[in-house]
This record gives sequence, C-alpha cells and structure tokens, in this order.
Amino acid sequence: MTPVVGDSLKALRIACVSPESMKSWAKFLHDPNPIHLDPKAVMAKGLGDRVINQGPANLAYIISMLQSAFPGAHIETLDVRYVDNVFGGEAVEATGKVLEVSGSGAAMKITCEILLSAETRGPVITGTAVLAGAAVR
Amino acid sequence: MTPDELPPPPAVSGVSLSGRTPYVISSDENRALCESIGVAPATDGSAHPIYFFIATQVGMGMTVAGLCNACEFDVEEGPLMASSKVNFSLPLMTNQPYLVVGEIVGLTRKRSRKLGVMDMLDYELRLTLPNGTPVLKTNNVWVLPRRHLT
Repeated sequence: MTPVVGDSLKALRIACVSPESMKSWAKFLHDPNPIHLDPKAVMAKGLGDRVINQGPANLAYIISMLQSAFPGAHIETLDVRYVDNVFGGEAVEATGKVLEVSGSGAAMKITCEILLSAETRGPVITGTAVLAGAAVR
Repeated sequence: MTPDELPPPPAVSGVSLSGRTPYVISSDENRALCESIGVAPATDGSAHPIYFFIATQVGMGMTVAGLCNACEFDVEEGPLMASSKVNFSLPLMTNQPYLVVGEIVGLTRKRSRKLGVMDMLDYELRLTLPNGTPVLKTNNVWVLPRRHLT
C-alpha cells in the first residue's frame, strides 16, 4: 500500500529499557561513561537515580520503527534532536507520521516526522527522516 | 570584559578527526546490537543503520574523551548530545572495512537559561569504502557545559 500524507506509522514500544543492554552499548560505542552503567554516577551528577540510556540506542529504536514501517525502502537521511534522557526501566515508544510523498516505485521518497517518547515524561528525540525506494507497507 | 562578555572558546575548527585504521562492523556484534533493541538482524548482510553513529565514533581518530580534551573539556563533566544528521549514499554492510575522515566544524560559546554557559561542538565525519567511495556523511552537535564560567 502506497504511503499517504498524514499516515501514522506503526509504533514500536519498548516496555522496559534494560540497564543490561546499556552495558552492551557501552562496548559497541567504546564509551565507558559511568552514567550508563552505575546509578551512583548518575546521582553524583544530580541527573537522577537510574542509569541513562545511550542516545544512539534511543535513536536505534526510531530507526527500527522506520524499517518495520517501510520494509522495501532504505533510510536516506535522518535529522534529529536529543531533547531528553531515557532512564533504565522506563517504557518508550517510537512513532512517526508521513509528511510528504514524492515519486513512485524505486524513485519514491517519503518524508516522515519521527519521535521517541518516554511513556511518563514525553519527547526524548524529535526529528525527520527521508526514506527512498519502493515503500511497501 | 563586561559581565555579559565571555572569553572565547578554544580555536578548534578544522582539527582533524580522521581515523587511522579501518572500522569493520562484525556480523556477530550487529546481531548482538539488534538483539539488544529487540529486532532481528537483516538477512542480506546489511548492518543496522545506527552503525552510522557507532562506526564513525569508533573509527574516528580520537576517543570521545580525546575529542572533549581537544576542546579543553573534561569528559567527566558530562558532554550532552544535542543533535545528529546523517545522509546515506550506500547501506552499511557487515564485514566490510570502512574508513572515517572528518574534522571539527566549530565550537560556539553561548549562554543557556537551563545550563548556563556552554559550548556547542559541531563536528562532521564521513564514512567511505577503502577505495574512497562515499558511504555516508554525519554531523553531530554536542553541548559542553562550562559550569566554571556560569
């Protein structure tokens, strides 16, 4: 089905952001920042009392939502702002909405508004994405 | 200097961030990354697109701490990610060597109601195949809070 301006994309919900996965991301990113690993480090900086998920891990949720929404397309551009943190144990949801569609078939381009929200606090990442290629939904 | 004037930030525009060794996305790590976010890895050899950030950060010629240090900022002070942009020319593939080239674009000092004095660090990284074919270009902006100037 061809995407239409105004379509909402199927949300990707993460019921519980795992502190264990933050340890894996510290290795993927070669970034041992203790705010992702040790609640005491977070408390010492006055940032709360739970470990903080890595920003790129938060963005990965949005990317996975886009890939699921448009399995025949590929991401051409992403432009995002990191507006808040995600804490260990929180639930988050990646959502999107079609803003513009141009071309058709392999030349199709779809511009989407994208958002990651912490369930109880609001926006964490905001931005836009452009996908290209045959967008089968 | 009046109270409203601030000392200039370190002059770091143009500092090279080019890497020295190729970065390879291993299929095992890609699988582990996909599992960590609850999705299945692609079956066509492509890597999760978030590797645009990981490959460029790990493959650039400085660690995060080194990049902060170049800006006369202690990583222990806590840099904050502000924004990311990426333009893909090719999909990212597992088991493919990539090279990273790039540089610091700018360091801009400003006052913020929430964070006080801070520097906005803007840097650009480009990922290429070993033969120079462009794969992606990314720009990241970090906030470096300068609490001692607030």
